[in-house]
Amino acid sequence: MKTTCFFRYIFLIAIASFAREAGAQQELMLHQQTGLWQASATNPAFFPKDKRLMIGLPSFGLDAAHSGDITYNDLLRREGNRTILDLSKAIGKLEPENEGYYDQRFETVSLGLRLPAGFYLQAGHAVRINAVVNYPKALAELFWYGNAPYIGQTLNVGFSTTTFDWNELSLGLARRFGDRLTIGARAKFLSGISSLQTDDDHRLVSVYTDPDIYQLTLQTDYAFHSSSIISAIDTSGLGFDLAINELKNGFSANTGWAFDLGLQLQLGERLTLSASALDLGGRINWKENANYFRSNGSFTYDGVEIPGTDIINGTTDSLDFTAALDTLNDALQFQKTAESFHSTLPARFYIGGTFKLTERWSFGAVVHHQNSERRSATSVGVNAHWAVLKWLTLGVMYSVNGHSATNLGLSVVIRPGPAQLFIISDNALNAATPYGSAAVNFRFGGAVVF
Amino acid sequence: MRFKNWLSLLFPVLVLASMYPACKKANLDDAAFAEHTAEYAFPLFNTTLSLKDLMFKVLNDSLSGDTIVVNADNTMTLYYSGDVAEKPASDIFAFFNFPPNAPPIPVPDSLYAYPLEVPDSVFVRRTDVLTGDMIVIIFNSLPEPVHGVFSIPQMSKNGVVFEYPFTVGANSNIFSPTFNLGGYTLLSDSNTLQFRYEAYLPGGERIVFPEPFPGFPGVGISLQNFTLSYVEGYWGFSEYPLTLDTIDIDINQTNLKGNVQVKDPKVTMTISNSWGFPTRGVVKYLSFIGKDGEEYKLESSVFNNDSIDFDYPSWVAGEIGQTKYTHVVLDGTNSNIATIFNAQPTQLIYEVAGISNAKRDPSIIGFLTNESTIALRMNVELVLEGSVQDFGAEQTLDLNFGSYGDIDTAHIESVEFKVVTENQTPIATALQLYFLDENAQAVDSLFVGAPQFIMEAAPVDAGGNAIGQKRTETFVSMDIARFDRVRQTDKILLRTFFTTANGGLTPVKLLANQQTAVKLGMKVKTRY
Repeated sequence: MKTTCFFRYIFLIAIASFAREAGAQQELMLHQQTGLWQASATNPAFFPKDKRLMIGLPSFGLDAAHSGDITYNDLLRREGNRTILDLSKAIGKLEPENEGYYDQRFETVSLGLRLPAGFYLQAGHAVRINAVVNYPKALAELFWYGNAPYIGQTLNVGFSTTTFDWNELSLGLARRFGDRLTIGARAKFLSGISSLQTDDDHRLVSVYTDPDIYQLTLQTDYAFHSSSIISAIDTSGLGFDLAINELKNGFSANTGWAFDLGLQLQLGERLTLSASALDLGGRINWKENANYFRSNGSFTYDGVEIPGTDIINGTTDSLDFTAALDTLNDALQFQKTAESFHSTLPARFYIGGTFKLTERWSFGAVVHHQNSERRSATSVGVNAHWAVLKWLTLGVMYSVNGHSATNLGLSVVIRPGPAQLFIISDNALNAATPYGSAAVNFRFGGAVVF
Repeated sequence: MRFKNWLSLLFPVLVLASMYPACKKANLDDAAFAEHTAEYAFPLFNTTLSLKDLMFKVLNDSLSGDTIVVNADNTMTLYYSGDVAEKPASDIFAFFNFPPNAPPIPVPDSLYAYPLEVPDSVFVRRTDVLTGDMIVIIFNSLPEPVHGVFSIPQMSKNGVVFEYPFTVGANSNIFSPTFNLGGYTLLSDSNTLQFRYEAYLPGGERIVFPEPFPGFPGVGISLQNFTLSYVEGYWGFSEYPLTLDTIDIDINQTNLKGNVQVKDPKVTMTISNSWGFPTRGVVKYLSFIGKDGEEYKLESSVFNNDSIDFDYPSWVAGEIGQTKYTHVVLDGTNSNIATIFNAQPTQLIYEVAGISNAKRDPSIIGFLTNESTIALRMNVELVLEGSVQDFGAEQTLDLNFGSYGDIDTAHIESVEFKVVTENQTPIATALQLYFLDENAQAVDSLFVGAPQFIMEAAPVDAGGNAIGQKRTETFVSMDIARFDRVRQTDKILLRTFFTTANGGLTPVKLLANQQTAVKLGMKVKTRY
């Protein structure tokens, strides 16, 4: 059923993108855990108090959400050894335009060292994914229900995405000024792994099914940049083959830089304020395997056109429906051009404060804002930390963000000897049931500090 | 305390382990679709059929000697012509009947008038020989040699009379060389041909060759392959059978069936005549047999007592070799030809006699040539205006569902075909498709039962002119079991039945610029 292939092709591109999607990571509770070495990722001025050497162990963080109430379970489920894709429930929850983002941070190793004269040195490596996908409900409907229910309607099914992942090598320096102020700065060398970035100026893919005899009109003005994800689109014959590169984690010629700035201010014995700006000027220039794909055309398929004279004269003595259907693909002929492009990292900003009420209890508040070409979001949270035991600290946070006003965060930090082990989530209920949640946020990892 | 430290390690391990499912990457490589229903709609084919093309095709396939003319007002006129009968003069008028291997003509005397075989009431005065080989045979039973000259005084070539000098020995015989008579002219005023010879003994005595045997003259003429190119003379009143025949005629020689009513048919009978004397055709019998088996006798006011005088080339006017035409037009004003035509005649039975010099003019000099014929040609002229009811045709087409034939029907619930016609013609079409297996047996049909009208006739005005176009949509649903059968077939038998506007009761005009668009779309409901 080649026609179904066509409709599904478009949707699968979106799925392929969404499977890799991201957005700038919100880590409110991590930011408030200033004693954790990994908190320095949110502010280069953060260093665990009274520690000289910090070795960061692998740490994984994920912040993902979909607009509305779409959950993983709404889309996918396991049956035996198979993954079942089911859009029946999800489509009803979709808005006309939908957004999904996915921000993943995997810190492989990091190092912190207290130097003389109040300096702190830090370095680390991380692999990050950042993706935002915007897609119309019509795309899912066309994919799932076919085009027949939408006869006579023009379905705009073009989606947009900014998706990229990269290696990040960081080197930072902080200095403590007196007893109160610490200022830090960090430079990050970025090495792009792969990228898929649609061109917002060319986002049109429309499908119109004529009520007459269901003639199909496809109109495209669609383009995207890709580096090391899609190398070719073959629409020859009746196929829609994507040549998708194997994901690689190696360093490439796709490079760039980003910078973090932060400060921490101690006001008295109990109150600490902090502020940071992350990924400033972050930009990756994609040169390696960088291509620009564009489809621009309009094509109407009226079915096999048999000249009446051929029928009358008997020169056409058969009805063959195979011919010409493959020309349906002609409308999607992507022209590939080698062309470099760039991706901009979303800039993130934190402003926070902590009030130490007792030796065991502290309270705080934090504001986070991120801004990118495709998405901006602000979140605010208040938190309390309770040092239950010397080696165990529990935390709780209530936060509000653009996705939900009822986020309950939890943190567990364990310090067995020089080790720091933690698991943190700005939305703990979702983290425990990520498949049933429209938004997922958690971070876990460890470090050894001396 | 050591136990306490182990506990503090165990806790995060358990927490992290519980997070594992949440972090495990979903593998989409083997993803399958959940069971759901989808429906896809797409076009299959479209075509535009021109009425002009259709008519040309029908006529080219079925009729010979036909042509169709598109008139200035886009009406179309069908001209069909065919030779009904042709009668060469030699079939009726036999002159100098010399069959192959006929015995020599005896010449019993030195001057002998040989009677020519000519029809009654005909007096030949001149004939031109086309071919002929002549040998003069002389038997001399006398004891002396004889010499002399054999001549045919009435036969000359370029003004030179035919002569053959001869010498024959005593008790001997001779055969002359073979003389080619082509180009000789024979003149006669009494339907006879004179042979003459002068024979002398050595002493100068003129003799007549005695019979060598009793009853066997001494001189004879052998003629072979004798034909004439021209005969001239007087044709008196005489009646002779011209032609009697039953011939199949089929204006509608297609496989089309049904009730056709053609408005104002016109049949022109053309008699082409190169006989050079006045001939009157007498229609003894002229009837048509309709497709219903009924006999329809032609009744017309154009015949005068069932006869008509044919125009002819005149000897006086020097029209030798010319052909003259006589046209007899039969239409609704002078005959019952419309009734006959709309009975769709299948046979014509006729008997026509000829009368020469019916007016008994004694001064008529006529002629015949070896190529003179009388031929009857029928021309049918139909303005394509009329009505049809269930005018049907059959056609078998190969069928190839292509990739649709390979669909895994396990995922298909049903299909629905949508047939759309946009018809500018005043003809409605009912259709039935039979899907045939390799043994040409119908395994299914598009419609259950009788054919259905998939194309309604365009509306017509009082004059039978189509005004506007009529769109007809027909939906044909098939469950997967039917579709499975149908898509495996490789031939279809197409039966179409045409009916003009208002159920075939109103005569309509068919215009060359009228056309019909036929389009087919398909919906497939799938279940995954």
